[in-house]
Amino acid sequence: MSNAILVVGGGFSGLTAALEAAEVGYDVFIVEKSPFLGGRVAQLNKYFPKLCPPSCGLEIQFQRIKKNPRIKFFTQATVSSVAGKAGDYTVKVHIEPRHTAPNSADLGLLASSLTGETDNEFDFNMSRRKALYLSAPFAFPSRYVLDREMVNKDDQIRLAKSAFVDLNENARDIELQVGSIVLATGWKPYDASNLSNLGAGAIANCITNMQMERLASAHGPTNGVIKRPSDGATPKKVAFVQCAGSRDQNHLNFCSYICCMASLKQAAYVREQYPNAEVTIYYIDLRTPGRYENFRNKVTADERISLVKGKVAGLEADEASGDVILEVEDAVRGHKSKVRHDLVVLATGMQPSLAGDANPYGVTVDADGFIVDGEDKGIFAAGCAKQPLDVMRSAQSGTSAALKAIQTVRGR
Amino acid sequence: MAQPLRIEPDVQFIRELQAVGGDSLKKCYQCATCSVACPISPADNPYPRKEMIWAQWGLKDRLLSDADVWLCHNCGQCSDLCPRGAKPADLMSAMRNMAYQKLAPCPSIGKWMSSSKGLLILTAIPAVIFAVIWAIMAAIDFGGNFKGSIFPQGEVVPGKIFYGDYTIDPVFILVTIFVVSAFFTGVKNLIKSIGPVGSTMMLGKKKNLLVCLLEVITLEILPHAKFSQCGDNTEEKKFRKYGHMCLLFGFIALAVVTGCFFLGHWLGRIEAFRPIYMEVPLSFANPFKILAQLGMVLLLVGLTLLTVRRKNQDPAKQTSSWYDWYLLGVIWVVALTGMFTQFFRLADWAVLTYIIYYLHLVSVFMLLAYLPWSKLGHLVYRTAAITYIRYMGRK
Repeated sequence: MSNAILVVGGGFSGLTAALEAAEVGYDVFIVEKSPFLGGRVAQLNKYFPKLCPPSCGLEIQFQRIKKNPRIKFFTQATVSSVAGKAGDYTVKVHIEPRHTAPNSADLGLLASSLTGETDNEFDFNMSRRKALYLSAPFAFPSRYVLDREMVNKDDQIRLAKSAFVDLNENARDIELQVGSIVLATGWKPYDASNLSNLGAGAIANCITNMQMERLASAHGPTNGVIKRPSDGATPKKVAFVQCAGSRDQNHLNFCSYICCMASLKQAAYVREQYPNAEVTIYYIDLRTPGRYENFRNKVTADERISLVKGKVAGLEADEASGDVILEVEDAVRGHKSKVRHDLVVLATGMQPSLAGDANPYGVTVDADGFIVDGEDKGIFAAGCAKQPLDVMRSAQSGTSAALKAIQTVRGR
Repeated sequence: MAQPLRIEPDVQFIRELQAVGGDSLKKCYQCATCSVACPISPADNPYPRKEMIWAQWGLKDRLLSDADVWLCHNCGQCSDLCPRGAKPADLMSAMRNMAYQKLAPCPSIGKWMSSSKGLLILTAIPAVIFAVIWAIMAAIDFGGNFKGSIFPQGEVVPGKIFYGDYTIDPVFILVTIFVVSAFFTGVKNLIKSIGPVGSTMMLGKKKNLLVCLLEVITLEILPHAKFSQCGDNTEEKKFRKYGHMCLLFGFIALAVVTGCFFLGHWLGRIEAFRPIYMEVPLSFANPFKILAQLGMVLLLVGLTLLTVRRKNQDPAKQTSSWYDWYLLGVIWVVALTGMFTQFFRLADWAVLTYIIYYLHLVSVFMLLAYLPWSKLGHLVYRTAAITYIRYMGRK
């Protein structure tokens, strides 16, 4: 028997659930698969509708975690098995080695002295990083992580000299006793290489909306200047392709909810940087529910942002110019045309992380990978593990899951 | 100020469309992927997105006057990419099926042809006609061949029952007149429905209708140009193009043989044309006989390719309607009964030869006499529509 609560996933909904439970007196463990907390939000440039940077919301959460002794979090950790019943779960957790000493030593100098580089997955491979790194300046925990497999021979000698690096640290397996589990496993961007008619992710100047977030981010590969990936040119005519994979039974058979707002927001990024740039958003239905309507009206009041009803169904690269030729029928005018843009952004949708992934939790996922049950077993889904949500609703669903988890363990 | 447009949906029409193959049309959410996916739809007013919304709204007039359904060659690329499984390709087929049902006169034949329920009566008509002929020939002991049996005695020759001059030729001459006049009305209705309302001013040199027809036949139909544009050169789709080619050229070969034989047989009786006289059975050295054998092989190869393709279709992407299966089925029976009649005749199996030949006649009747109401009607309607569209300056 245990009153503790396990939260799987350290993104916005997981952090919220953990904090809500801990701040009313329950012990909470967070298990996060990546080396840093913050999840997808940490990768954004700004979030809508207020367009504030993610560090603003995340930093408060990180402060609350730091100050709360009831929360214990494990990064680079995954759940390997769950046994027991509501109120009495034994959870085995596998923890990969970080290879660096605790207490946030600044290893920046050591990191920059390394020679080996590899693709930076945090920037969706648009930049390179060292084997010893922090994902972002505001990364939490602000403790470097060593990508052991990427360490070359020279770097190994350098790293071995550091008192703060332990090249021989081993993976650990621990057991946690908890009474309830919150699954906040989140989402992953839908893999654009599946979109064969949209260039299958192989067109240089056709990026995804999450890549656009990194391009626009001050900590991103271009320090926040939106440029074409192929030649660094300034984009003058930018297209957003909505429903790139979403609402499509051949890909994601559901609406990803956030992409319309994300594209409107990103159209604003482009227009803010380039007063002469033209932006076109190609959509099936522009979905800006509730008060997001106001945001849409504000953004589309810009006469250089135009909306075309019609799903883009063909994309090809013009090798000579690096431009992207997009094929679409304007369904209102009934005219099919090929349009040239110098930068195309695919509004790829969100796929639940559990889709096609290990599921040791004993919950059922639907055909798309969303969690559909578990409540009777004291296991509660939060955030995008359950359905596509924006940040605000993810936080709300985190609070809701925390409340249910508390009701499960209370009085035991 | 523009008058508001009042839409009068024809709900019964939507149901009829769904019945002839467009059952998933309501799933469409107008994303317009299909119009882009289609390799042959034009830039201005591309299809099939507009047809999908007309069908959902029950805009019967728009759909019935839409020539574009005849431009579609049913490659299914639109349905492959359709995010909703709304199967626009099936709707275009359904629209053509509707045309087979409604264009030609004698609406009851159209009705019988539209579902498996009519199959019995459609089969019964030729079955009775040829059974009566058989009974009369046996009763009068035609040529002294029957000698009291219902099967002729001696050398196995199908003509001993169905002697061409008195039985087959008169029946099929009547059938031909019937079919040609039905097509005449059908094509007239087709052109009337797809033609422009009011008068059209044509700029530039007016094209000759016959030249257009010739262009359509030599540039599009014979080389299967649209099939190639539809992506049928790709590995997974080429079954369709080559299957259709085999069937078309097989039928052309058989039509040439039948036509030439008919001419030779009848004209050859006149003294001046004596050398071209022909009589069944032709010898195997006769070039027409060789051409007929080639036609038969082409039919069988084409049928196999097309049937395998339909069988392997992903039902979530494209489905086959009764019209598709009726035509494939009848051509299968025609080809197989034709082939086996010849085999059994050469093997000297009298009873089987006569029975199979009887079935052959029944199936040939079912193929030819109902042509304007069957999917094979596209031979005429599609050619007419494409020719007319070309004449009007659209491709």
